[in-house]
Amino acid sequence: MTTPLIILIVFIIILILMYNSLVAKKNQVDNIFASVDTQLKKRYDLIPNLVASVSKYMDHEKSLLEDITKLRSEANKSDLSEKEKIDLDAKVSKTLGSIMVAVENYPDLKANENVMHLQHSLNEVEEQIAAARRAYNQAVTDYNNALEMIPTNFMANAMGYKQKDLFVISETERENINVNDLFSKR
Amino acid sequence: MKTISELTTFYYNKLHPTIEKLEDERKTIQKRLISFGLLYGVVVVGTAFLFFKTPQAIFFIYIAILFIAGMSYLYNYLTKTYVQKFKQEVMAPLIHEIDENLNYQPTKHLPEAHFIRSKLFASRPDIISGNDLVSGKIDDVDIAFSDLHAQRESQDEDAEDDFETIFMGLFLVADFHKNFKGETIILPDSAQKIFGNVIGHWLQANTTSHYELIKMDNIAFEKEFVVYGSDQIEARYILSHTLMQKLLEYKQRSKYPLYISFVGGKIYMAIAYYNDMFEPSVFHSLLEYKIAIQYIQTLHLALSIVEELQLNQKLWSKI
Repeated sequence: MTTPLIILIVFIIILILMYNSLVAKKNQVDNIFASVDTQLKKRYDLIPNLVASVSKYMDHEKSLLEDITKLRSEANKSDLSEKEKIDLDAKVSKTLGSIMVAVENYPDLKANENVMHLQHSLNEVEEQIAAARRAYNQAVTDYNNALEMIPTNFMANAMGYKQKDLFVISETERENINVNDLFSKR
Repeated sequence: MKTISELTTFYYNKLHPTIEKLEDERKTIQKRLISFGLLYGVVVVGTAFLFFKTPQAIFFIYIAILFIAGMSYLYNYLTKTYVQKFKQEVMAPLIHEIDENLNYQPTKHLPEAHFIRSKLFASRPDIISGNDLVSGKIDDVDIAFSDLHAQRESQDEDAEDDFETIFMGLFLVADFHKNFKGETIILPDSAQKIFGNVIGHWLQANTTSHYELIKMDNIAFEKEFVVYGSDQIEARYILSHTLMQKLLEYKQRSKYPLYISFVGGKIYMAIAYYNDMFEPSVFHSLLEYKIAIQYIQTLHLALSIVEELQLNQKLWSKI
């Protein structure tokens, strides 16, 4: 009589533990995504300023500036899913990168204090975004692993949890961000 | 910063006359030590025979204790001025050659507060000792390090006053160039090495005395170290891919267990040599390359972190 009862209790405890660990992993992902989001917003806030400062000088890159402005207004929509935000972030990073490369072609612009300050701010936000992305990817990896591994996969299935996307970490981001290059312009 | 070979050249060229003088002194001390030692040995054995007619185990223990205690006293007594001279005439110029703004205090050590603030070692020390404090600014970055020996009273059953070493080696503190609020602690990874990835991670995640386990996305770094921290994102903000790579290289150069923490805007580093560094032995010549290079390398290793970890490249917001 007591043995089946003990087995049942142990079984229930295991189920509870599995359930809790899955919820914890999902919340960890959400939590970190919230931080990623804050950092991304910080970057989006810098964009209008940047566009305003460089548009006077940049004649040939008007389309780039239009792109970035468009991307920013898209990102400001409130009903974006995590996946859409991740995709937008990748596009913004790429376009911002192109703008920064273009700035190099304008000596006046490079020497402009406002632009320089913006570059530094962007650089720092970029580093924080990179850190947040990496934290997010680790949390998602842990979460996705739990979704695929036995025995938590059965439980996750029953709970209707779905795999989440990772941020793509670009090669340039893995490389050394050389602050010296930035400072040599001073 | 000066390279190791530049410092070695300085050691053998500029410091050569001083070292030659010290070398004569060393030889005299060595001779004295040996003759006094022999004499003392004869006296100890002689008195032992007076007390114990037949040699028993206790007889040898008595000889060993008396001999070791006497000799270590004698060694310290005879070498005291030699050690002092070495520090003043060799170490101090060597340190000034690296950077003339550095301050060298042979008898001082880093205060206990740094050791506790670093959060690198769980137990609070009862005794802190050390020497060879080097402090100052390199490239406008505050840095200080010294030999440090932290001990705590061990809770033995026989209630004797026994001391257990928590840490012995080089302890270093410097300003870190990024802003951060939380705490990130990097320890040598023993669990993962012994138990492999899966069980190792599980064990690390379940040690309650630390913060959250932070898994880093650099496989080589993860193998060598384990990271705990109060903030998942901040830990990665501090530990960029570049810094992880640099710390790995640093670890490989130091060859000893390396403890690193980021607390209160500072980087703390502890290299566990389990030895008192920068102490000359009268049984080795200061002209020996092996001996010279050890002093130079250790100094260089400690002071090169500013350049190596790019602590001098302050971020915009910290200027």
